[in-house]
Amino acid sequence: MKVPPGVSPADFSEAIKRFEDAVGKDWVFTSDEDVALYRDPYSPFLGEPEELLASAAVAPDGVEQVQAVVRIANEYKIPIYPVSTGKNLGYGGSAPVFSGSVVLDLKRMNRILEVNEESAYALVEPGVSYFDLYRYIQEKGLKLWVDVPDPGWGSPVGNALDRGGGYLMAQYRNHFDSHCGMEVVLANGEIIRTGMGAMPGAKTWQEYKSGFGPWVDGIFSQSNFGVVTKMGFWLMPEPEAYLSGTVMLSRHADLIPMVKILNYLENTRVTNGMPDLGSPLLQIPMIAEIDVFNRGDGPPPPDAELAGLLAKSDAGYSPELEQYALKKGISYWSCKLSFYGAQKANEANWEFAKERFSTIPGAKFVEGESYKLPLTPEQREKVHKPQFGIPSLTMFSIGARSPVNPTPTNDHMWFSPIIPRTGEAIIEANRVFNEAAKEFGIPALAFSLPSCYWERAFIFIFAFPVTRDVETNKKNRAAFKKLVQRAAEHGWGEYRTAPAYQDTIMNTYGYNNHSLLRFHETLKDAVDPNGILSAGRYGIWPKHLRKSNA
Amino acid sequence: MSSRREFLQMGVAALALPISAHAALSPASSILDGETTATPLYKVVFDERFSASRAFAEEAERLGLSIHGIKGDMTDLWYHDLHARWKEGPVAIAGLTAHGPIFCLERLAWDQRMRVVFRADHRYRADGSIEHALSGPSILLRRAAALGDEINWSSEMASLVTRCPAMRSQTSQSNVIGPAVKHADDPEHLISWVIAPIHRA
Repeated sequence: MKVPPGVSPADFSEAIKRFEDAVGKDWVFTSDEDVALYRDPYSPFLGEPEELLASAAVAPDGVEQVQAVVRIANEYKIPIYPVSTGKNLGYGGSAPVFSGSVVLDLKRMNRILEVNEESAYALVEPGVSYFDLYRYIQEKGLKLWVDVPDPGWGSPVGNALDRGGGYLMAQYRNHFDSHCGMEVVLANGEIIRTGMGAMPGAKTWQEYKSGFGPWVDGIFSQSNFGVVTKMGFWLMPEPEAYLSGTVMLSRHADLIPMVKILNYLENTRVTNGMPDLGSPLLQIPMIAEIDVFNRGDGPPPPDAELAGLLAKSDAGYSPELEQYALKKGISYWSCKLSFYGAQKANEANWEFAKERFSTIPGAKFVEGESYKLPLTPEQREKVHKPQFGIPSLTMFSIGARSPVNPTPTNDHMWFSPIIPRTGEAIIEANRVFNEAAKEFGIPALAFSLPSCYWERAFIFIFAFPVTRDVETNKKNRAAFKKLVQRAAEHGWGEYRTAPAYQDTIMNTYGYNNHSLLRFHETLKDAVDPNGILSAGRYGIWPKHLRKSNA
Repeated sequence: MSSRREFLQMGVAALALPISAHAALSPASSILDGETTATPLYKVVFDERFSASRAFAEEAERLGLSIHGIKGDMTDLWYHDLHARWKEGPVAIAGLTAHGPIFCLERLAWDQRMRVVFRADHRYRADGSIEHALSGPSILLRRAAALGDEINWSSEMASLVTRCPAMRSQTSQSNVIGPAVKHADDPEHLISWVIAPIHRA
């Protein structure tokens, strides 16, 4: 049995016995075969001594057991690492940031405590998966949608605390923003409830977020200040209808007004679904088209002339490439808009959007899907399910094989910088990342388009490969860190990352001699003086480990 | 480095760490190898797109097992079957699929206190043969030696997975190279597997 650093084998054995007393012997895992299941399958340290590994795992069944576990951990100074379902692959999975920690596996806490159809919210425990909540809603016939990430096998609590995103209306897509009320077990075992939940008998815990006084919910996301044991979420009432339409633009420079108009339309709620950018010329599918591409039903591959022009283009542009597009009538850019709501309102909003985009010379419009909701079973098979609040694992089948992917390749870690929501920023980021890729010796990046999960900023999500070759992984890790730095030099910071890079990225948020990190550390020392909770998570180390990680 | 959408086109979970290989290899022996009550299989999963997988399913069905076909995507299998069934209690399943489904199922099964107890990676070789890299109960691996002579290896695998011992037993790993006919629709790499409830020592 592996022992956490700084803990004596005798103390650890005793603590394990106490954990067993608290949660039941069947729910404390210490054997190699059990603990191996908490490894990060996408770890960038695969096969290296630095791989982040758990020493054991404890799976409590309720909040009282969580309290007992953290009290025991405090007594023996055992580092523990809470996970809800541990399925945020590419961002760390269930492996701890501080190797040797005991995973506090909350999967057994899988109760759906309340779903209120009229007020459109849910209160759930951390082990509830998106599939669990979706099934509950379906079986009860509630007219509610859950905003799900893709893939949808994780938990609303875990995804929100990691600040993940989805695909529905803007006010639901940011999963942390759409939460309302938490219950948290602090490191000393005390329970707090946030927002209105602090008032005994409060009637609006899941309806009014901030309660009275400082609104502390944010400090429990991407952090290590407590164990969230309940969380409320606003759900989306099932709309009457869905409509989509796509704007097609012919010139490279059109990207800039396209984004400006899109921002106006989204920020005024004319379009309320997640916008989806693409480039037919540059062979960049929209996210909703990826399944179609992988079935082999996408557009044909570029002819020799286009392939040559693409290869010679600079960050997706050359005058010759643009001329080719104009000559062949291939659009440079596409932007799919989604509308959820009353059918007549959707149609009117699409008409208004077309008017706005018509100010760009040559704009064309393609009518998209129009569904009266709920979807029929046949319609469900055709759509990108997360855009209709349906959890899916389809993404994992893409790795198997497809006409466009005859030889699937690698595991991955995500490099996810946030950039301004402008066309200029898209072009600049492509230029910077392309130059950096060449400089750092990693495969050059084809022109990329960001995703529109968040309303006010774009997010690029690049996959960095994790291979079976240690030297390649070392090289990629070094390149990843340089890329983080290069992004920071341009004012672009990552929104989330795997444990291997959390210190590196936190270091880029260094305004005023890292005053924000120092504030985090002050909080950490105050609420978790023994540093038992998720040491190192998002760069926040407890005092006794801080120097060695400086 | 690739963008998320390019990456989605390339594949997500293709070579992700098969934790089952590690899990299955932990030595443990609470019964003798001679005691071979087989793990009852709730369902056998196959990929309709692949000849080898279809042959696996045909044999499983002939042996009286319930089969479930997928086409790469196991969302429906999960949502309409296993998600609800495993909530009632853990039951074993087996399959012959590409990597994606077993990658997901292994992790979803762990949430229900089950794990991969047998795994065989089948890789076609340039000389026309096929290599079977097996890990799991020793008694099963001894029976797998027959794969060295068996051109209908996937049918043989179906027979093999039905004999996976129900109780913990000595585990090991082995490699067998055998004859094969690779059909055009078969990928280079397929995986046979058994997921079963944990019997902790």
